[in-house]
Amino acid sequence: MTDQTNTELKTIEVTQAVLVLGGGLVGLETARVIADKGYSVVIAESGETLGSAAETLPLVGMDQGQLDASMELAKASKQIEVFSSTQFAGAAGMPGNFKVWLATQKEVTEKQVGAIVVAGKVDIQPLNAAYGLALNDGVLSQSQLEQRLAKDASSLSGKTVAFMVGLAQPGNPVNMERVFRSALALSELDDCSVYVYVGDLKVASDQLERIYMQTRDKGTLYFKLQQMPAITQQNGNLTITYADPVIRQDVELNPDMIVVEEAISAGNDNEELAEMLRIELGAGGFMQTDNVHRYPVATNREGIFVVGGGAEAKKLSGAWMDAENAALRVSELLGTGSRQVSTETTLDTGKCVFCLTCYRCCPHGAIYWENESNTIIDPVACQGCGICASECPQEAIQIGGFTDAQMKTRIETAGAQKTKAPAIVAFCCQNSALEAGQMAQEFKMTLPEGLKIVQVPCAGKVDLDYILSAFVEGADGVLVLACHPGNCKSERGNTYAGWRVQDAQRMLAEIGMDQRQLRFATLAANMGSDFARIVSEMEADLKAMQ
Amino acid sequence: MSTEAKKVMIIGGGIAGLTAARELARQDIRVELVEKADFLGGHAIQYACKATDECQQCGACKVESTLKDVVESPNITVHLATEVKSIAQNGRISAQLAKGTADKGDALKQCVAGYAASPVQCAAVRGFSKHNARFYSAEGALNTETTGQAAQLDVDAVILASGFTPFDARIKKNYQYGVLPNVVTGLDLERGKRATGTLLRPSDGQPPQKIAFIQCVGSRDENLGNLWCSQVCCPYALRTAMSLKDKNPDLDITIFYMDIQNTGNSFPTFYQKCRQDLKFVRTIPVDMYQADNDRIRTRFMSEADGSPVEEEFDLLVLSVGIMPGSDNAALAGMLGIELGSDGFAAGAGTLDTVSTNQGGIFLAGTVAGPKTIANTMAHAGQSAGKVIAYLRRA
Repeated sequence: MTDQTNTELKTIEVTQAVLVLGGGLVGLETARVIADKGYSVVIAESGETLGSAAETLPLVGMDQGQLDASMELAKASKQIEVFSSTQFAGAAGMPGNFKVWLATQKEVTEKQVGAIVVAGKVDIQPLNAAYGLALNDGVLSQSQLEQRLAKDASSLSGKTVAFMVGLAQPGNPVNMERVFRSALALSELDDCSVYVYVGDLKVASDQLERIYMQTRDKGTLYFKLQQMPAITQQNGNLTITYADPVIRQDVELNPDMIVVEEAISAGNDNEELAEMLRIELGAGGFMQTDNVHRYPVATNREGIFVVGGGAEAKKLSGAWMDAENAALRVSELLGTGSRQVSTETTLDTGKCVFCLTCYRCCPHGAIYWENESNTIIDPVACQGCGICASECPQEAIQIGGFTDAQMKTRIETAGAQKTKAPAIVAFCCQNSALEAGQMAQEFKMTLPEGLKIVQVPCAGKVDLDYILSAFVEGADGVLVLACHPGNCKSERGNTYAGWRVQDAQRMLAEIGMDQRQLRFATLAANMGSDFARIVSEMEADLKAMQ
Repeated sequence: MSTEAKKVMIIGGGIAGLTAARELARQDIRVELVEKADFLGGHAIQYACKATDECQQCGACKVESTLKDVVESPNITVHLATEVKSIAQNGRISAQLAKGTADKGDALKQCVAGYAASPVQCAAVRGFSKHNARFYSAEGALNTETTGQAAQLDVDAVILASGFTPFDARIKKNYQYGVLPNVVTGLDLERGKRATGTLLRPSDGQPPQKIAFIQCVGSRDENLGNLWCSQVCCPYALRTAMSLKDKNPDLDITIFYMDIQNTGNSFPTFYQKCRQDLKFVRTIPVDMYQADNDRIRTRFMSEADGSPVEEEFDLLVLSVGIMPGSDNAALAGMLGIELGSDGFAAGAGTLDTVSTNQGGIFLAGTVAGPKTIANTMAHAGQSAGKVIAYLRRA
């Protein structure tokens, strides 16, 4: 469906070095894997020592030997350069050739890197206040208990310990496993009684159900509640009053100790970091939008990846997967030092008035400028969505394979092919609706006789002019078919497309055209039957209007 | 030694095998992708999009796009309807292949007239995906030019990505699956939605008005010895329910559950919406009876006072869990790797769950334990990364 054009290629050099932000366990492992692929790595860590997250995770059941081996390899690698007590101070440039600044108290160092991996930290806060409790000798946070268990477990002998988890927040498998592991450790001590008050048992992680059963076998008692129990804390005496779900009566427990859950949230400095890197944050402020096209380590910007706690609260094993995936993406981007890029996407500096609309609307941070006047689209960073081309008030931008001239020809061809049936021009995002349409064709679903599909790289490329041109060329109906909100590879192409359809609809209304002649809908690539339904509905509408 | 001349065999063409194949191919490693079914995509290609008015991050569309990447890659040879019969270590790894007659199962039942006569009804035979189309001739047979025909492969590493077997709901007789027509599994519902875009009752082809999902069917079941959470069923049921509710706000949906598992970073807000739009009952129904109009009467304990309650539904969906692949033992024996106590393939450790006790043999996806699509893709990426490092050293 695309015109076959000879793609003009040019070779650019990319820097064979990577910046890893964060020198915790995950940052070190990521650096190790990337260095193993032959790239040099710079680690920037704000703290004084590397691998410093280890203290807070004494009980997570990870293979300590494996962990130590990885850390030793990372620390011994000659390809890894470490900047500790260092703040990330900014980045400029484009994927393949970023300039980054690392600041210590004494000086700022500039480095050239091809890619950046954020090994973000999570923020861990005890939720004692939500339970109406103050932390003291009798009320510990989960982390405090883990430290006690690691350093001074015997002092917990003979205690009755009650855990509160998943009642002040939905909870997650990481917190759940910490409770299970702690319960197991306590059950090894003399005369410990363990009670767990829990909302939902979050066991959706490797081995957790089995570990849960082990804790029960060792005597841990669980109370699954729908709401928080009432807890009083007076003169060191703790009283928990809860509605027992089995005997259906209020029951009291007087434990020696209550352990409260912690919220594991996105790092405090994510916002600042995201701004410096021009990364979009997702739910809860994590360094990745909730977009399936970002699985597992990508961000909205090429060359910037996120691993471990930067993306969500996850176990170390999940972060280790991220490290390998980030290394794959790095080596795909940086290869062996040079890469071929298309020169087809162009910005006509003669037309450009330097309004920077394109800079602001580009979801991939692919546009920059030089000398306060010269706007440039970076060929590595650009994903070819064309949102900028459609938003540019000067029509100065042409997208490779989808130039305005090419699109004009395709719209003319699509609009001109007359059948007796209503002529429908469907602008289809190549990531979703185009695939769905081809699926409908492949499986011979019933499609309107007068349907013509016009491929766009992203619905964000659908210009108001395209919609109007399709009508001018003879279309009876026009469909703009985009990805579902939250599923756009370019984050907001579907939103732009929706706005343009609204604008066009206002214009159609002014000249007295029926609104049913223009429709916006969202689809996924695997929705062939829904594609068939949507286009057939439009055909039925158009026939009814005749 | 450079990895350029190296070749990797991947056993299993589901989302794990596809992801691993794509990652290796992108690094210019030759891949032989061996799949026992007639199509690529495994279970996940049969799942329907679960978007409401917005994407719910189920990942089903990523299976479609990964499959597209694989079929378009010149570095990947696809062997369909092919099983690995034996493995010999001779410096390299030598695999004997056989063109199998793998059970095509339920898919074929809908395809009585043959693919050419009724492609829509037979879409399941091709994993519902147009990207499988290139593997068949005009007559519908496997195309010998676009699929691998080798009887033996000599490779440098193997990734076992043979996936899972869905729990056979007939084992839990009280649910009356296979007896009452309107008791279906999640997988049945997915295939129906993938084919028709809507949800219909098997007994009369009409849209149901009142449905219930029963969670943990086969998973977290002490009596069966299945001490694992399948990790996918809560996200699956919640997203499907919300997607159905979005299309038909009058639909009455109940979720019977033990503990609700998370869907991702947006779970807190998503679950709040679920709580508003769906009914949640924290108990698992015991018995099912046929009621009038092919409805199903269930009996369960009331949450409020523990008294028995009866309720009727038009359709009952069993959220069947992820079980170890039925051929795990045979594959593990052939490859010389170990299975864990639950019957899933055992990884090397808690941090490296893709390497095995055999050099050159790696794991990807649900063969090593239950995973969502997102986690499967991450796991397969880790596997590909480890394979590349292994090949460089080998």
